[in-house]
Amino acid sequence: MTDKIDFHADDVVVRKSACYFCHQNCGVLAYVKDGKLIYAEGDPDHPTNAGGLCTRGNQAMTFVDNPSRINYPMKRAGKKGENKWERVSWDQALTEIAAKLNQIKEESGPEAVAAAAGTLRTDDWARRRVLNFVGTPNGFHNALLCWIPTFMIETAISGWSPFETDLGTSKCVVLWGMNPGASSMPGAHGYFDLQKANGMKLIVVDPRYTETAAHADLWLPLRPGSDAALSLAMLNVILNEFLYDFDFVENWCTDIDELRDHMEPYTPEWAAPLTWLDPEQIREAARMYATNRPGNMQWADTWDQLGRSASAGTQARAIMRAICGNLDVPGGDGMPGPAAYVTDEELERNDVLPDEVKSKQIGSDKYKLTTFPGYERLAEISRRKWGKAFTAEWMCEAHGPSVFKAIITGDPYQVRALFCSGTNPISSYGDSKMVWEALKKVEFMVVLEYFMTPTALMADYVLPVAGAMERPVVHTNYGVTDSIVASERAIDPLYERKSDYDIWRELGLACGQGKEAWPYDSLEEELFHVIEPLGMPVSSYDEFVEKYRMYYPPVRYKKHEARGQFCTNTGKVELNSTVFQEFGYPGMPTYLGAPENEVDDPEVAEEYPIVLTTGGGFMPFHHSEHFNNPIIRYIKPDPFFTINPELAEKLDIKDGDWCWIETRRGRMKQRANVEPAIDPRAIYTQRGWWFPERDWNDPDQPFGCLESNTNVITSVDDEHCDPLTGCWANRGLMCKVYKCTAIDHEFTHEDAQFSIPGSDFATKGAGVHSMPHEQKMAREFAEPIFAQPDTEVPEGFAWDYKTRRIYEESTGMTLDPSGWLIDEAGTYYQQGTHFKYVNYNGDFLLDEANGKYYDFSGNPSEGPQYAGAELPAGVTWNPVTLTTVHDKTGFRYDGDSGWVIDDATGTYYDVANGWKYENVNGVDYLHDVQGDAWYDMQYNAVAAPQN
Amino acid sequence: MTRYAMVMDTRRCIGCQSCTIACRTWNELPIDIIYNPVVSEGAEGTWPNVHMNFTPMICMHCAKPACVPACPTGASRQDDDGIVWVEPTQCMGCKVCANACPYGARDYTKSEGFMRKCTFCKDRVREGEQPYCVKTCHQKARIFGDLDDPNSEVSKLVGKFKTERIHEDLGTEPQVYYIRDLGGRG
Repeated sequence: MTDKIDFHADDVVVRKSACYFCHQNCGVLAYVKDGKLIYAEGDPDHPTNAGGLCTRGNQAMTFVDNPSRINYPMKRAGKKGENKWERVSWDQALTEIAAKLNQIKEESGPEAVAAAAGTLRTDDWARRRVLNFVGTPNGFHNALLCWIPTFMIETAISGWSPFETDLGTSKCVVLWGMNPGASSMPGAHGYFDLQKANGMKLIVVDPRYTETAAHADLWLPLRPGSDAALSLAMLNVILNEFLYDFDFVENWCTDIDELRDHMEPYTPEWAAPLTWLDPEQIREAARMYATNRPGNMQWADTWDQLGRSASAGTQARAIMRAICGNLDVPGGDGMPGPAAYVTDEELERNDVLPDEVKSKQIGSDKYKLTTFPGYERLAEISRRKWGKAFTAEWMCEAHGPSVFKAIITGDPYQVRALFCSGTNPISSYGDSKMVWEALKKVEFMVVLEYFMTPTALMADYVLPVAGAMERPVVHTNYGVTDSIVASERAIDPLYERKSDYDIWRELGLACGQGKEAWPYDSLEEELFHVIEPLGMPVSSYDEFVEKYRMYYPPVRYKKHEARGQFCTNTGKVELNSTVFQEFGYPGMPTYLGAPENEVDDPEVAEEYPIVLTTGGGFMPFHHSEHFNNPIIRYIKPDPFFTINPELAEKLDIKDGDWCWIETRRGRMKQRANVEPAIDPRAIYTQRGWWFPERDWNDPDQPFGCLESNTNVITSVDDEHCDPLTGCWANRGLMCKVYKCTAIDHEFTHEDAQFSIPGSDFATKGAGVHSMPHEQKMAREFAEPIFAQPDTEVPEGFAWDYKTRRIYEESTGMTLDPSGWLIDEAGTYYQQGTHFKYVNYNGDFLLDEANGKYYDFSGNPSEGPQYAGAELPAGVTWNPVTLTTVHDKTGFRYDGDSGWVIDDATGTYYDVANGWKYENVNGVDYLHDVQGDAWYDMQYNAVAAPQN
Repeated sequence: MTRYAMVMDTRRCIGCQSCTIACRTWNELPIDIIYNPVVSEGAEGTWPNVHMNFTPMICMHCAKPACVPACPTGASRQDDDGIVWVEPTQCMGCKVCANACPYGARDYTKSEGFMRKCTFCKDRVREGEQPYCVKTCHQKARIFGDLDDPNSEVSKLVGKFKTERIHEDLGTEPQVYYIRDLGGRG
């Protein structure tokens, strides 16, 4: 390569750019000549990758100028899905899209517009801003499969999700369903180095034998999807063997005894048959984690893909971290809290979304923690305690699968328009056949994409998006951490591509949103506004990148000690969550089984005896991306599922055989990788597969998008979704496996038929059998969505569902069930008169306006009398402030000591003369300051003492 | 003197194949040519007592290469620093060298008509840079350096750990050293 290009020539500029192909955002040095990208390599000075790049990162060059990239705005010219396009100008595209949006908003309300997006490929706060100004609550991502349930549950319990791991001095790391060997490679070797250097214990919980499990001190190969049972049992052991941090629990946690009672049934013996583990293995894991402190439990998206058992397990894990004293300590789980710079939440402009549409957010009646009810409650607590809240994008979104169901059925209402930005929902959302039906059916669809995906094929407009090298990239962990790593644009977008910020901004302006919504002209200007509060001596975003590139605030541990509280509802770590209870959920971890399992559903297990796990990442692909890159695809051309040799032999399956994998929802095919890397009772399928090289013109499955797609067989049935968060089930489902035969080898029209989740495809066949609102939920709750008051709201009062109180509109004071009003300080006032309740030597009412007292019957009263011994001369009782005032000095007379005290300075004065008490050289004096005379304590005049 | 060599710390390798792809990017290889695959048998043993190893492959840049004397045209050659390479203008694509090489390190490209092989990125190395597969490795499983320099990392590693070389018995004196750890499980 160097034969052709001289990187060090004077006209070559090196730009500090970033990779965008996973969440690590590794640093990339981009070499630019005459505005063209000539070479990109790992940035040796970047904290994440130190010069390294993975398979995907090395494809930066082929991504920028890939011949199959979409380069111009396109409008559908033929029928939907016919792949006929007319190239249009940006002006025309955006004007027409805006007109259609405004029309739909006019006719059906703003909530008829929904928007799906891919994972961190996009400026999501900009999208949220457009949606907020349009007035729709129905933006969503695949957030529920990726961290967001964990974040919200842990934030409810501990005040902020403790996700920043501090490995340096850690004694024990738990990688639970996490395989950094495939998913976050820059960090993987760190664990293994620390194991050797510090003797750090590494516990790996994974049903598969992976790159990472190979290095573990203790590896727990559990039944896929039984993580909650293991988590609950480990908590049981820690509680029953008293392995937790007593001081921390005593000072900072609520309800430890209730929790111990509640967890009593969840013993290792209970969990053993559910998890396929030995009770002693579970005990060993609990002891290893609890006794090697400080320790970390790293997040992994396993937790968010378990379906209905997800939240109980996550809750138990959050409690384990806390009671073992690992929250926010060196070597433990750090809680960064919100940033000092302008956060994503502040950029989103959530203030403009009207309250009345929030209750229309799809899924908010079912999954309350990750939609408006839970978000607003937790954000309100966060704002009160931290000063800022976490992002609404990601943390407060419509339930994606329910939006697709709404498009098909019109239940709860018809969704008419759908935006898809950087996402291919057929591959990435559960129950692909149903998603595909929704994409075919939706009235109006706009896709922001890099390549022609099956989703883009169904669009009315396809808009070309700029990739990583063509736009600035900031890394802030979804906008919920306090640090920022920034990278600059290497080159201007090629052809007519635009960064999605520009697209959203211009669409917003075309919709008539104006300067108020979009005060900045470019992404760099807006990002400079973001970092401005940091006060760095820079005058532009690019200068910040060039000079500093990143900002990390000083690490502060044990913030709760300085603050005197955790940022939760009660100020403590809530082992029994008050917020969950408010929404009708159990406050303590309460087990629900995996969505389909051999214990709860023996009749399903009879037909589908094998346990399925999927959703785990594998190199070199990221989600459904890069399947169209020949260089990458060459090393993994076909989809493979992993099956143990013992099971393969039983089913007569040989290595490399194409096999059908079938669940109650349908079937898809992958090739067998016969390898003892998984339990003989389970299989693992690869995710994300589609075949960009195949024919687009297959009406059942363009680009082969269903044939080997593991999401064809995953479940989004309401009864399989987690009741708190709505995450659906990728792991622990039941399936059967059989070889493709000569007469049953093709994915047919019948295989592509959809059914509405909740109806059972295996028994009822294709079609819609029930409306979403009739479907059974994983758990019914006690309360309706936006909790209503117990009593009627009187005239002049209003109900605030966020704080769950009735308040007087004119004063903001809370109406107590006793009939009294309570202000913020906790003082009681009489309703109507607003007289303050005074309880001093009897009960009185005080009119604060004129200082007059009344009794409870409304008769004037002298007010409370001084309760102490008789007051000396020169001291007056003030019944309004309830103080005894010394006439001469105006300071407070203290009845207990008999002195007059200036509370501001702590100085004492005598009552009779108002002389100041002083102690000079160990001798007590009274000092008449005005007359400058000195007296001893018996009022004898003395000479002024010498210092 | 300089004697370039590579150490593969297989304890760190996770089989991500970043090196495989990175090499193709730097060397602009045709689609079907791979210089440095990462090979593995996958998990071995009986569940759950299994273990797994990855072996990153590359041209061994042998001290006594079998491929160089096999070449009838003199296109295959070895420099003083040990790097074995092919001069494309003299290569007629007869594949004799590929047959001679016990490591499968040479490939013929039909589209180009000559033999291709790993050059230890001599274009980079001679400018003081690391070979591209070494630079790109997140895990730092590939270590490159001068074996004649006792202070180089490769010298230290080869001195410190028990290393093995592939097909050492054939007498080719391969210059890629593998650090193995058969710990794992089972």
